[in-house]
Amino acid sequence: MFFSLIHERIRFVFIISIIILLAVIIKVFYIQVFAYEKLNTLAESLWSRELPIKADRGLIVDRNGEVLATNITTVSLVVVPGQIDDPQNVAKDLADILESDYQDMLKHVTKSTSIERVHPEGRGLDYTTAEKIDALGYDGVYLLKESKRYYPYETVLSHVLGYVGIDNQGLSGLELYYDEYLTGADGAIKYFSDGKGNKLELTEVYEAPTSGITLQLTIDINLQLAIENELDNAFAKYEPEQGLIVAMDPDTGEILAMASRPNFNSNNYQDYTTEVINRNLPIWMTYEPGSTFKIITLSAALEEQTINLFEDTFTDSGSINVDGSTIHCWKSGGHGTQTMLEVVENSCNPGFVKIGQTLGVDLLMDYIDAYGFGSKTGIDLNGESTGILFDPAAMGPVELATTSFGQGLSVTPVQQIRAVSAAINGGKLYTPYIVSAYLESETNSLIKKVEPNLTGQVISEETSSLVRYALESVVANGSGKNAYIENYRVGGKTGTAQKVENGSYLDGNYILSFMGFMPADDPEIVVYVAIDNPKGVTQYGGVVSAPIARNVLLSAIDILDIAPSKEGMAKEYTWLDKKYSILPNVVGLKKEEAAQALKNYKIEYSGEGDTVIYMSPSAGYYVAWGETIMLLLA
Amino acid sequence: MKKHIDYYLLISVIIIGIFGIIMIYSASSIWAEFKYQDAFKYVRQQSLFFIVGIFIMMLTSKIDLNFLKKRANLILGLCFLLLILVLIPGIGTIRNGSRSWFGIGGLGVQPSEFAKLGLIIFTAKYLARNQKNMTDIKKGALPIFLVIGLFFLLIMLEPDFGTAMVMALTLIALIFVSGLKISFFVKLGVLGLAGIVALIIAAPYRMARIVSFLNPWSDPLGSGYQIIQSLYAIGPGGLLGQGFLNSRQKHFYLPEPQTDFIFSIISEEFGFLGVIIVCCFFFFIFYRMLKIALQASDLFKKYLAFGLAFGIFIQASLNLAVVVGLIPVTGVTLPFFSYGGSSLLISLISLGLVLNVSKK
Repeated sequence: MFFSLIHERIRFVFIISIIILLAVIIKVFYIQVFAYEKLNTLAESLWSRELPIKADRGLIVDRNGEVLATNITTVSLVVVPGQIDDPQNVAKDLADILESDYQDMLKHVTKSTSIERVHPEGRGLDYTTAEKIDALGYDGVYLLKESKRYYPYETVLSHVLGYVGIDNQGLSGLELYYDEYLTGADGAIKYFSDGKGNKLELTEVYEAPTSGITLQLTIDINLQLAIENELDNAFAKYEPEQGLIVAMDPDTGEILAMASRPNFNSNNYQDYTTEVINRNLPIWMTYEPGSTFKIITLSAALEEQTINLFEDTFTDSGSINVDGSTIHCWKSGGHGTQTMLEVVENSCNPGFVKIGQTLGVDLLMDYIDAYGFGSKTGIDLNGESTGILFDPAAMGPVELATTSFGQGLSVTPVQQIRAVSAAINGGKLYTPYIVSAYLESETNSLIKKVEPNLTGQVISEETSSLVRYALESVVANGSGKNAYIENYRVGGKTGTAQKVENGSYLDGNYILSFMGFMPADDPEIVVYVAIDNPKGVTQYGGVVSAPIARNVLLSAIDILDIAPSKEGMAKEYTWLDKKYSILPNVVGLKKEEAAQALKNYKIEYSGEGDTVIYMSPSAGYYVAWGETIMLLLA
Repeated sequence: MKKHIDYYLLISVIIIGIFGIIMIYSASSIWAEFKYQDAFKYVRQQSLFFIVGIFIMMLTSKIDLNFLKKRANLILGLCFLLLILVLIPGIGTIRNGSRSWFGIGGLGVQPSEFAKLGLIIFTAKYLARNQKNMTDIKKGALPIFLVIGLFFLLIMLEPDFGTAMVMALTLIALIFVSGLKISFFVKLGVLGLAGIVALIIAAPYRMARIVSFLNPWSDPLGSGYQIIQSLYAIGPGGLLGQGFLNSRQKHFYLPEPQTDFIFSIISEEFGFLGVIIVCCFFFFIFYRMLKIALQASDLFKKYLAFGLAFGIFIQASLNLAVVVGLIPVTGVTLPFFSYGGSSLLISLISLGLVLNVSKK
C-alpha cells in the first residue's frame, strides 16, 4: 500500500528530529559543564558590584618597635547612583550636611557609573558627620571605612619617612620607595545587582582588606630625637641656612638616625615648599667635603705605606707651592715641623698635599672610587645624588693637591659617612640602609630580614686600626677636641668646606662639619654633622659641629649602651678646659691616705670605720677636679 | 481503532502548559513589576489564554475534520487577506521592528501564526487530493510551492523571518513526507541557500546576526547581546540550576525574558535537569503526534496530523537551537512556554486538531 512510503518518510523525519534534540542537549551540556567556569566568572563579574574597603597601609616602626607612621580611621562617602530613587533630595541633604555645593553633589548622585566616590568633600569625614548621613537612611548612600596616614612624631624623621597623598599612595621617602609593600590589598563588600544597577536581595560577600606590610627601620627613635634636638638647638644658636646629621652603624651600614633642616611635618606636607619637602639633605646635598675627606687620603696612604704615621715628618711653612700655585694652610705661619700623626691632628693642608703627592693621581683616585665616591650609595631612598669628581685623566698636580684635602670635588653626606665607616671598621664598605625587616602586619612576625650588604674591602684591618688611632688622636690632641668625652674613646675629624657658587668660592660662607665615631677601638656608631653657614661664630668645624657631634655621641652612650673605657687617650688640656685626672685606686687605704690621694676632689664619706672599702666612681676613670668622690668606710 | 482521543498527549500538553505558565511567572514578574507595577500582569494574561485555549482545543478535537477539509480554501483565503491587511500602515502595528500585529484592545494578534495553520490545512488537503500527481513535479509540486512561496513572501515583507522559516520548513517536510523525489529537495536546498544569501545581501543586519552567532563577543552590546545574556543564564545554571525564581539574568539583563529566551531562564533556574525535562516533553509530544499520523487511515488526516506535529516541533527546535547558540537568532518563540496569546492559541488549536485525528 502506498502509505508505506509516507510512513517511511515520517520515521525518517522522526530520526532527524531526535538528532536535532540531541544536538541541543549536547550543546547545553557543553555550556553548563565545560564552559561553566568561564561563563560563571563572566556572569559573576556582570552581576556583582563592589564597594571597596580600603586596606590599612603598613606601619613603619623604629628598630625597637616604636611606631613612626600609623593610620587613623576615617569615613568616606560613596554613592551608587543606580540605587538612588530621589537624586534631588539626596543631593540636597548630603550637600547640607557636608556644607558643599548642591549642583556638585547632584552630579555625583546622578553620575552614570556603578559606584561613585564623593571626592573630595566626602573624604575623611568625622564621626558626627558620618552619623548624620547614616541617619538619613537613603538607599544607595554608603559610608565606607577609610584609613588616613598619621605620623605621631610629626616633623621627626620627616624626610626619611616621606608622606602619602589623599589616596594613601606613597609620594616621597620610604612611603614612596616601599609603596608596594606598604600598600595593602583593598577589600570589598560584594553584592549582586540587576541590569539597572539596583541591589538584589541576595547574599552580600564581605572580603576583608589585607593590611600592608609593617616596615621595621634601622632608625632608633631616641637617637633620632636627640639629633633633631641638636639641630633645633644649632638653628636657634647659629641661624644657619641648612643643617644635617646622620648616624650610622659602621659595622653594618644601618642608618641609626638621619635628619635635615629645614624640615617639615609629614602630616601636612602641603604647607611646605617643594624645596623643603624634597630635599633630604644627607642624600641629596652635594658639596666640597673639606677636611673630613682627609680621612680618605690618610687611609689610602697608610694602606699603600707611602707614609709612616709616626716617623715621617713634614715641615709646614704656612703654604706650599704646587705647580706654580700657592696653597695656604688654614693656620697662618704654619705648623712647623710635624710628624704625620700631627699633620692629621692639626688638619694641616700642606701636609695633606704632601701625602697626596706620595700617592699620585691614579692611586688616590682608585681609593676614592673604591670608597664609593662618584656613585650612588644605593641607600633605600629616592633622590640620591652622585656627586662630582675630577676626571683622573685630566688631573694635574693642583687637582691632586686639592683633592687630597677635600676640595675641588663634591660628595653627599651619606657617601662620606659610608666611606669613613669603611675606613674605621676594618676596611669593609657597606651599603647604607634604613629598612631592616619586613613584618607581618597582624602578628609582627618576621617575613624577611634585610642583611647588611658588604660591597667591598677597601683597606686592611691593620690600616683601619691606624686610621682609628690617628682619628682618636685628633679628638684627644688636635682639632677635634670639642668632641672629647671623658672615659669614652672618641675618634673624629673636623671639616670646614667653602661653598661654591657659580664656579667661585663664597667669602665667609662655609659648611662646617664633623665626622665622629665611638668607641674608637671598635666603633659602634659614626656621626656626621654638617651646619651650612652658621652666623656669629668662628667659621671652623671644630667649634660648631664637633660639640654637636659630642652631644649626639653622649646620647648614644645611653641609647646604644656603650661601655666606658679606661684605655682611651688622655686629652691634651688647654687653660680653658677643666682639669681631669685619672682617679687613683684608694680602696683598701686608710681614710687619711685616701684623702691625700684624692686631694683634687671633694670627698663624701659614709659608713663607720677607718678603711675605704668602696669608691664611686671607681678607679681608672677621668674625673674633673673638684667633682665629688663617694667613699664607703668600714 | 481508538474511540477516545490520545489522553497521554492531552495530559502531556496540560502539564507542559502549566509548567509554561509557571515559568512565565518566574521569567516575567520582574519585568512586569517594572513596566506595569504588576508582577502578575503577564502570567494572568497567559493563564487566561491558556484556559480559553484548552476550551478551544477541546472544541477543535470534536469538530468535523471533513468540514475543515471542505473549507480549507476559504480559510486560506481569509489568512491571505489578513496578511495583506497587516502590511497596511494604520491597520497593522509595528512591534520589535516588524509590522506583523493587529492591535485589538490591549491584545495583539499575529496573522502569520494563523496563516501557518491555514496553510498546513490547505497543503494537507492538496497533497491528499493530488497524491498520484506528486511524482510529477510540474503537475503536483509546483502549484503548491507557488502558494507556499507567496505566503512566505508576504510574511517576509512584515518582516518576520522566524515565522516564515518555521512555516516553510513545516510545509517542505510535509511535501517531503508525501513522497516527492529526494533529488527535488536537494535542488530546493541549494535554492534555499541562495535565497538566504540574497536575503542577507538585501538586509545586512542579518549578516550581523550570523557573525554574532559565531562569536557573540565580537559585538557584545549589539548583535551579540542577546546570545551572550542567554549564555550567562544557561552557563551558571549548571547541572541542577539556581533554583526556581532564582534567575539573575531575568533582572534586566536578558531583555523580555518571558518571550523568545524563556528557555534560558528555565536552564538557569533548573539547570541541565530542566533542559532534559523540557526536551523530553517536546520529544514525547512529537512522538505521540507522529504516532497518531502513522495510525490515521485517512490521507488528509495523516498529512494534517504530521504537518501540525512538525510545525510545533520545528518551532521548538529552532527556538532551542537559537537559545543555546547553535544557530543565529531568528526570532522564534518556544511553543507552550513563550509569552504570547496567539502563539499559544495556535499551538493548542493544532493540538486539538491532532487529538481530533487520534479519535478514529
